[in-house]
Amino acid sequence: MRSRAAYLYLLPILIGLTVFTAGPIVASLGLSFTQFDIGAAPKFIGTQNYSEFLNSALFWQVASNTIYYALLYVPSSIAVSLGLALLVEKRIRGIAFFRTIFFLPVVTSMVAAAIIWSWMYNSDVGLLNYLLSMIGIDGPKWLQNPHSALPAIAIMSIWKNAGYNMMIFLAGLSNIPKDYYEAARLDGSSAWNRFLHITLPMLSPVTFFVLVVTTIGAFQVFEQTFVMTNGGPGVSTLTLSYYIWQTAFRFFNLGGASALGYLFFLLVLAVTALQFLARKKWVFQQ
Amino acid sequence: MIAPFLWMVVTSLQAPESLVQFPPQLIPSSPHFSNYGEAFRNMPIGTFFFNSVKISILGTIGEVMAASLAAFAFARMEFRGKRIIFGLLLAAMMIPFQVTMIPVYVIIHSLGWLDNHASLIVPHFFGGAFASGAFGVFLLRQFFESVPKELEDASRIDGASRFRFFATILLPLSKPALAVLSLFVFMGIWNDLLTPVLFLSSEEKMPLTYGLAILSTVQHNFRYDLLMAGTLIAIVPIILCYIFAQRYVTQAFLRTGVKG
Repeated sequence: MRSRAAYLYLLPILIGLTVFTAGPIVASLGLSFTQFDIGAAPKFIGTQNYSEFLNSALFWQVASNTIYYALLYVPSSIAVSLGLALLVEKRIRGIAFFRTIFFLPVVTSMVAAAIIWSWMYNSDVGLLNYLLSMIGIDGPKWLQNPHSALPAIAIMSIWKNAGYNMMIFLAGLSNIPKDYYEAARLDGSSAWNRFLHITLPMLSPVTFFVLVVTTIGAFQVFEQTFVMTNGGPGVSTLTLSYYIWQTAFRFFNLGGASALGYLFFLLVLAVTALQFLARKKWVFQQ
Repeated sequence: MIAPFLWMVVTSLQAPESLVQFPPQLIPSSPHFSNYGEAFRNMPIGTFFFNSVKISILGTIGEVMAASLAAFAFARMEFRGKRIIFGLLLAAMMIPFQVTMIPVYVIIHSLGWLDNHASLIVPHFFGGAFASGAFGVFLLRQFFESVPKELEDASRIDGASRFRFFATILLPLSKPALAVLSLFVFMGIWNDLLTPVLFLSSEEKMPLTYGLAILSTVQHNFRYDLLMAGTLIAIVPIILCYIFAQRYVTQAFLRTGVKG
């Protein structure tokens, strides 16, 4: 009897979980073995979708773009977030103002951020190249050059998201007992050594969490490409998420897109599993 | 960090002819406030804005309702499969949208909701099409658990039903938590691009994110001053909400933040 009442409260969430998550996970696996477009019945074609993608040069290009982006984005974004967190950790007057400023890009939509940065990246009259020219650097044609387009998206995304992980690092920093620092200071340890031997190890469980979540987020990059480059120039910024969307809704190949979705999922799972395996090597457990 | 925002404001006040000057004018010689009026007249910013407000408010109401009901069950009731269901809810949060996107699209299509705001609103009453609502359940469950059990016992002895306790005592007590959750959900919907891109096609239905994204890709003879004015209009409400509620946001991070 008690049970039944509880399920009533859970009903909306349970329906959502079934209709929008559990059901689609299974359905999408089924669809990945079919040729399918909306309006026609799915036609079973076995593993053809998978073999087609795995044998196409474009797929591997897109996959390596995605991994390249994650490599560009993840380490630098974590470093920036940690740097910001250390900067605003101090309890001094007015520091809350800077926390707010650093968090503002997080509450801004990716679309707005991408539009603002597209304008700053403008190669003829953009602010960025103007600032670079003042220190004697001839800036690249950011979004029009296949070599600089993906890094440009990564830089923008770091700016946009750094505040989020900064908050998580702040919470982590506040959990490190202050007497550790006191003891080290009494022993004459330098600030850099305290950072290296107290802050980093004590923070490593938080860093691990941030690493996993940030990596998954990086693989999912979509909105930036949608607004800034549409995958171009050429296919230089075409990443898996965007390619899946394109396959489904520009080329109307829903079966193929489902297969790509699963390949994407496998990649994410594999990378996450690797991170968990490597965890013992560097994450400090109390 | 704030420079891109300032540059947005500066650009939104530039005269159209100074946009193509190099070096760029860092301070507009005479601020063109008329750009804002023009943004509303030349681009459907007003329509986009209204759509965003409508979708975000209704969606937030739905998701906060669904999450608080579920959080109540998890915080205050014993039932079979409690741990498993909670685990599934958290696991669902980890599923990337790329995996569920196609079937969800097929479902919305077969409900006849394509190019209809229902596709962006109704799923939130069930936790959202690409989020299980788990975050909200998690946040509220913690808060509900901190409310003394005696309060519920007392109200039950007075003859109130469980639901009545939930609706008339627990929820009003939980205003701070509900406010933080509403803010997060509202921001999530307001800033979302993926769902509108998947489900909408006509311009008059688009929220600000999709509308601005489309406007920004219309390359020919584009007026960045107007686009920046439009973008500013899109982010000001969110920034105001955030600044207003930021103390609670920081607390939520510290409270639900990762424990090592």
